[in-house]
Amino acid sequence: MADFLQLLIAGIATGAIYALAAIGFTLLWQTSQTINFAQGEFVMLPAFFALAAMKWGGAPFWLACLVAVAMSLLILGVAFKGLIVDPLIKHGAMPLVISTIGLSIFLKDGVKDAYSAEAQPFPAIFPDRLIEILGVKVSLAQIGVLIIAFGVIFVLQWFLGGTRIGRQMQATAQNPTVARILGVPVERMILYTFLINAALAAMASLLISPIYLAKFSSGETLGMAAFVAAIVGGFNQVRGAIAGGIIVGVLDNMAAVYVSTAYRQAVPLVLLVLIILFRPQGLLGRKEERAV
Amino acid sequence: MTANANTHQSGDALLLLKDVVSGYGKMTILNGTTAAIRRGAITTVIGPNGAGKSTMFKTIFGLLPVRTGTITMDGKEITNSSPRQMLDMGAVFIPQGRNIFAELTVKHNLELGGVALSDQSGLGDRIEDMFTRFPILREKANAQAGTLSGGQQKLLEVARGLLLNPKLMLVDEPSIGLSPLMVQEVFSILIDLAKKGVTILLIEQNAKQALQMSDYGLVLEQGQARIEDTAKNILNDARVAQLFLGGGMAPAAAAAPAH
Repeated sequence: MADFLQLLIAGIATGAIYALAAIGFTLLWQTSQTINFAQGEFVMLPAFFALAAMKWGGAPFWLACLVAVAMSLLILGVAFKGLIVDPLIKHGAMPLVISTIGLSIFLKDGVKDAYSAEAQPFPAIFPDRLIEILGVKVSLAQIGVLIIAFGVIFVLQWFLGGTRIGRQMQATAQNPTVARILGVPVERMILYTFLINAALAAMASLLISPIYLAKFSSGETLGMAAFVAAIVGGFNQVRGAIAGGIIVGVLDNMAAVYVSTAYRQAVPLVLLVLIILFRPQGLLGRKEERAV
Repeated sequence: MTANANTHQSGDALLLLKDVVSGYGKMTILNGTTAAIRRGAITTVIGPNGAGKSTMFKTIFGLLPVRTGTITMDGKEITNSSPRQMLDMGAVFIPQGRNIFAELTVKHNLELGGVALSDQSGLGDRIEDMFTRFPILREKANAQAGTLSGGQQKLLEVARGLLLNPKLMLVDEPSIGLSPLMVQEVFSILIDLAKKGVTILLIEQNAKQALQMSDYGLVLEQGQARIEDTAKNILNDARVAQLFLGGGMAPAAAAAPAH
């Protein structure tokens, strides 16, 4: 039982990180119809920004983390929107999808060539010390991840629902034409979404890299987890992405122990197939109708 | 407002369209539309499907670009203004269909109507005014707007538009999907607004009913204004009846027989 609880906590911690990536994924979809197949690489890359800042810039770890967030906002937020999404979205969703797949390959191989093909150890923000709570051993690192990830999610939810800018972003996501008619600066709201996505990716990267190491190819698994989490929860709901992320994280951890580590990566896919078969709008999603 | 407003002269137009051409992509819908919309009155735009009624509204409000021609409001040229600039000029647009944000509360929907307010400190009072005017909205203030009935949603849209105290309201098919009672209610709100000096430009599927409560009518066909007159005259115009029976206003000879 204690093992199970330990696994559960570890699963929720990983799941909370997946949720960060999945939330960004759904936000981009909602406000700009961008399905970002490079989302996994978006989570892989910021850790390398930090590593590069430490290796070549001699920056201390805390500064490297700030550099990573700043670079993410600039490259994964502003440049991604300005150089890829804006010019392509006019031509429909499909060219953009293909481009993000291309971008994912570019980022992956770019990191491999520019930094290293080896998995890189990444400094942990929290000490990896085990403490015992009610007979269950949990690591401080996991608790730290949980607190930060849920803290970020909480702040984001508060921002979207509790501030006027956040509600203007929601309005833009729900109906951009009407938002424009009411005078909402729609373009700016979309830019905010890209910045939020970049910040979430950077947070996820800094939290997950100490656990799974920073590797150029780690985006494949992360992207799949985020994608499945978003679909499972409901593609058009932030809270769906949170639920989906946690479900995928927990299942993933449980499967590694109770089924087989070899099948670990298959579990999210099985879940994906089941959801698409039986509840295509996702657990918390609403059905979406699109005008043709 | 200047004191020399001379309501009964045709020259007293709030909104003027001159030879406006616009459309979607390669398609031209408005094909040289010229019209004068009078201040403080209800003008109903009628015409067959595809005549360009909704296109005209979207073009005025800056959702579609004006290719050639000019639009003037209050003597100022507003051709190709953005929706935000139109709001700042005192115009609001209530488009066809459901335009509420279903997942936000009624109150937050109203609040979004005030995004363009120059003085944000007055927003709370204005929302309060709307709640007083439409008590049902106060009752449902914290409910998700998507849970309102169709009629209530339309009321919310109207209230959201009124929040800015507009001079000009463009209202596209407000009665679609509403019960007859609700249609009456929406119409009476519009009549009341016109009495208070708001200029209302209306598109209605139920042309007859709409013209009966309007001051003026504007018949649009193939992207051009064919008739501009008082609503009464248009109601009694034989050509209009013919138009709505499906035939165009072009001479009958144009529709040559097949053999």
